[in-house]
Amino acid sequence: MASTVPFKLISPTRVVFQGDAELVIAVTTEGEEGILPKHAPFLAALRPGVLRANVVADGASQRLELATGEGFMQALPDRITVLVDDALAFDDVDVARAREDLAAATERQKAEPIESAAFAREQAAIDFAGAKLRLTGH
Amino acid sequence: MATVRDLRDRIKSLKNTQQITKAMKQVAAAKIRRAEIAQKQARPYADTLAEMLRDLMGAVSSVDHSFMKPGKAGAPPAILLVTADKGLAGAFNSNAIRAAEQVARERGNVAWYTVGNKARNAVRRLGKPDSPAWVLNAPSKLDTARDVARRISDDFVNGTISEVTVVSQKLVSMMSQRPEARKLIPIESAALREAPGDAERRAPSGSVEFAGSPEFVLSRLLPKYLEFTIYSALLETDAAFFAAQLLAMTNATDNAKKLIDELTIQMNNARQAAITKELLEIVAGAEALGVE
Repeated sequence: MASTVPFKLISPTRVVFQGDAELVIAVTTEGEEGILPKHAPFLAALRPGVLRANVVADGASQRLELATGEGFMQALPDRITVLVDDALAFDDVDVARAREDLAAATERQKAEPIESAAFAREQAAIDFAGAKLRLTGH
Repeated sequence: MATVRDLRDRIKSLKNTQQITKAMKQVAAAKIRRAEIAQKQARPYADTLAEMLRDLMGAVSSVDHSFMKPGKAGAPPAILLVTADKGLAGAFNSNAIRAAEQVARERGNVAWYTVGNKARNAVRRLGKPDSPAWVLNAPSKLDTARDVARRISDDFVNGTISEVTVVSQKLVSMMSQRPEARKLIPIESAALREAPGDAERRAPSGSVEFAGSPEFVLSRLLPKYLEFTIYSALLETDAAFFAAQLLAMTNATDNAKKLIDELTIQMNNARQAAITKELLEIVAGAEALGVE
C-alpha cells in the first residue's frame, strides 16, 4: 500500500475532510500541484478549482473530488493542510445556480478594468463557478 | 391603599411577564450553544491561518502590501461598530456603542461602518445616516464578513479612509461581556508574528518553498486574514449577545418573582384587613342593636 500523510481540508465554517491521503492535487496560482507524503515544506495560494485527493477511508483507497474556492495549501513532511473559502462535493453543487453565477460574473467583469481588484474578484467567481461545473461534468 | 382586586390584576400581569422572560431565557440558552458551536468550528481555520502567516512573515524580507502601510494622510479614520440587531440584553448594545463613541471622540471626525441594527441606528442618531450598514443576523455571517471586508479594504486602498478600528463585544465569560477596540487596518506585522497557535508545529523558517514568491502568497493571505478577523468578531458578538440576553432574562425572571411575592403578601394583608373590618362592623352593628 502506498504511504500516506495526514491531510486536513478546512473551510471557515467546518473541517471538510480530515484523514490520511496518498496524494493531494490542488490548483495553485502557479498551476496544478500534486503533493505526495514527505514533501518538503511548501506553501501556496490556491485558485478556485477542482481539488483532488486519494484518501484512505476504512482501509480502502478512495477518490476525493471537490470544487473549492480561493485558498491556501501548506505541505509539510508530516502533514498537508488546505484552507479554502468553500468546498462543495458533487452532490452539493447546484448546476443551474453555477451557470447563472458564471454568466453574471463574466458580465460584471467586462465593466472592470483589467488589473483591478474587482476584476480579480470576478475572475475568482468565474473560476469557482467553472470548477463546480467541471466537477459535475458539465 | 390598593384594593384586593387591583393587586390581583397586577400579580396576574406580572406572572405573564415572567412567563415571557422565562421563555426568552430558554431560547437564549439554546442559541448560545449554537453560537458557541459556530465559534468552535471556525477555530481550525483560524489556527492554520495564523500558522501560515507566521511562516510567511518569517520568510519575507520586506513587507510591501497596502494593508500594512499607513493609510492616506488627511483621510478620516474609520470605525467598524458591531452590535446585535435586537435589544433585551441589558446594556449589551449600548456599552459597545458607548465604547465606539469614546474611540470616535479620540479620533475626531470618523467614518462609520456598522454591523447590527442597533449600531446602524446609533450611527444614524450621530448624524451619519449614509454610513454603510449590514445586519448581524444574516443567513450567512461569512458572506456578510466578506462583504464588509471588501468594502472596507476598497475604501482603504482608494484612500477614502486612513485606518480602521473594530469595536465589538468580547465574550469574557458567560457572566461578562466587555467591549473591545482593535486596530484592523493597517495590519501590524507584530500582531501577525505573535498570532496564536501551536508554536512547536511551525516549520523551520527559511526552508519553506513557496509557489510564486512569499510576498505574493502574503498578498493573497492578508485579505483573507482581514475577512476572517471580521468573521470571528461577528461570531463572538453573536455568542456574547445571547450570553448577555440570558443574564438579562434570568434577572428579569427573578425580579418578577420577587415582585410577585411582595404583592401577594400585600394582597393577603389587604384581604385580611377587609375581613377584619367587616367583622368589626358586624359586631359593632350587633352591639348597637343590643343583641345578647
